[in-house]
Amino acid sequence: MENNIYIPDLARITRIETVTPLEKIFDISFIEKEAQKKFNFLPGQFVELTVFGVGEAPFSITSNPNNKDKFQLCIRAVGSVSKAIHALKEGARVGIRGPFGKGTFPYKEAKGHNVLAIAGGLGLAPLMSFLTYVMDFRDQYKNLMIIYGAVNPTNILYKNEIAYWNSRDDVSVCVTVDNPDDKWTGEIGVCTKLIPRVDFKPDDTYTIVCGPPVMYKYVVVELEKKNFKEDKIFLSLERRMECGVGKCNHCHIGDKLACVDGPVFRLWDVRNLKEAI
Amino acid sequence: MRGKGGKDMKASKVKIIGKKKIKDLLREASQEWNVYVPQKWSDGDVWMDQLPKDKQMLDEALEDVVLEDVDTVISPKDIFFPQLESIFKFKDDKIWETPEFSPKLIFGVQPCDLKGILFSDDFYRRNFEDRYYVSRIQNRLIVARGCLRPPRPTCFCSSAKTGPFAEDGFDLQLVDFGDSYFVEVGTREGEEFITMHKKFFSEPDGNYDMTIKEIKTKACDSLELKVDFQNALSLMAQDSFIPEENYRRIGERCIYCGGCLYVCPTCTCFNVFDNVKDKEGERVRNWDACVFEGYTRETSGHNPRKDKWLRTARRYEHKLKFDYKVTGLSGCIACGRCLSSCPVGIGISKFIQEITEKRKIM
Repeated sequence: MENNIYIPDLARITRIETVTPLEKIFDISFIEKEAQKKFNFLPGQFVELTVFGVGEAPFSITSNPNNKDKFQLCIRAVGSVSKAIHALKEGARVGIRGPFGKGTFPYKEAKGHNVLAIAGGLGLAPLMSFLTYVMDFRDQYKNLMIIYGAVNPTNILYKNEIAYWNSRDDVSVCVTVDNPDDKWTGEIGVCTKLIPRVDFKPDDTYTIVCGPPVMYKYVVVELEKKNFKEDKIFLSLERRMECGVGKCNHCHIGDKLACVDGPVFRLWDVRNLKEAI
Repeated sequence: MRGKGGKDMKASKVKIIGKKKIKDLLREASQEWNVYVPQKWSDGDVWMDQLPKDKQMLDEALEDVVLEDVDTVISPKDIFFPQLESIFKFKDDKIWETPEFSPKLIFGVQPCDLKGILFSDDFYRRNFEDRYYVSRIQNRLIVARGCLRPPRPTCFCSSAKTGPFAEDGFDLQLVDFGDSYFVEVGTREGEEFITMHKKFFSEPDGNYDMTIKEIKTKACDSLELKVDFQNALSLMAQDSFIPEENYRRIGERCIYCGGCLYVCPTCTCFNVFDNVKDKEGERVRNWDACVFEGYTRETSGHNPRKDKWLRTARRYEHKLKFDYKVTGLSGCIACGRCLSSCPVGIGISKFIQEITEKRKIM
């Protein structure tokens, strides 16, 4: 079945971690060693995950690209495939196609510059592939700031990683929640409120953004108020996809395809396209 | 080497076949090929359908073959891109793919539909080869049939230069000439087909080149619907020219049935889903349509194209702007089926008239 891009490789769920009431993190390894070996992904790419008999859906890879013996997906149970994978146990068999997407986070281009990461809700998950990569090569980037907004404290993802970033003096992290509980002592409100506080030089800063669709236009407004440049702002634009390889056409944004040309786009390239942000 | 005295040493690239011989040719060809040819059903509709292999059924089907003034309900795209198609099957830890390879003779393809086929061929080979589409076309022979008269009143191929006769892309092309057809040979494969079935074909007499030219010119003149196609492509290419109001107005009238997309020769969107029966599963893909609200609806419920007018805009922009930008070819091949099939009288030719003549038609 070589060269047939529509046929998934068999893989196994090796570990499941329940991280919030809605989300679980799945560690996945290919059953065939060859398939694992040739699976090299870049930060921002995604896979098509099959739960056999239920269907297939796209998920951003959330783990560090430097980790070669497995990869991770952080999945919220909302659709048929995502609910089905939540029902699976460790050791279960799934199908994987990918990695897909030419549009990746600017992991190379941003070297030697400041990095500002802005995540809303589940949007932190796709950014993790990039952020863990940056942490591996931390000395190659200038300042790193992560702004993350969640609905409430129980929905905060990657609490261990956030604690780790907080423990380092070369990462600045701001977490904000819309609905605080009694114990919450951090920021309150949407993540756009924190952007005015960023003191990076606009010309010298790469910004990456991932969050719910409604978030993008407000984030872009705030960034541009501070003169951040549209060719240095990257947005992960996720869309409904079926094939993941540019044939089913569901993810068209203007003349671009989220699956092939994205899912990460430079603001410069998409801002004038209908429906983009 | 049929010519005499060295003047015409090469066999001509045009043959001739009597119309009465077509059925026998198709009967003979169906031994080697799966033959697809327009057939008139009992309800009067004409479909580009496969001839049965069973001898008696074949004889009956051949009686229903029609080649002149034919308006096939949908384009022949479903021969290569079926409405529902298996991608692979799975059971336990086994997956096996299910491509289809049969030899296909597509006989009597309208030139506009031929353009549609070539457009889809290119689409399904772009970036990578789609296993299913490419396996279906790998052993294929296309016999085009030029239109003496427009089969639909909504045809506007002469405006888009996609008909009424094909200039290239065919293996053979039939040119209607009274009780026979001139057969233009477009490829070596077409020539081989004629050699295989040479008893049905003969050499044309006289100044046939001139005759063919006259037939084609007359056919071109027979199209009454003319639009400024090239101008429409130029206008669409200018990013902000088409007022949103146009799309909103058309979008209000569209009933979003998807009919225009199913009949369209170049619409290739599909959905993918799994079917399971008795522990054996099958992944299939089926036609989808970008005018449906659910087409872009995401799992979260968010829908970037929830507004009707955005879906209307998407349809026209995909065909006349983005396809042209990406491939240099229009995604509309001017067959006129979208208008002839539309319950509320919306069609691409009318859209083109609206933007080039700057008046409200729809």
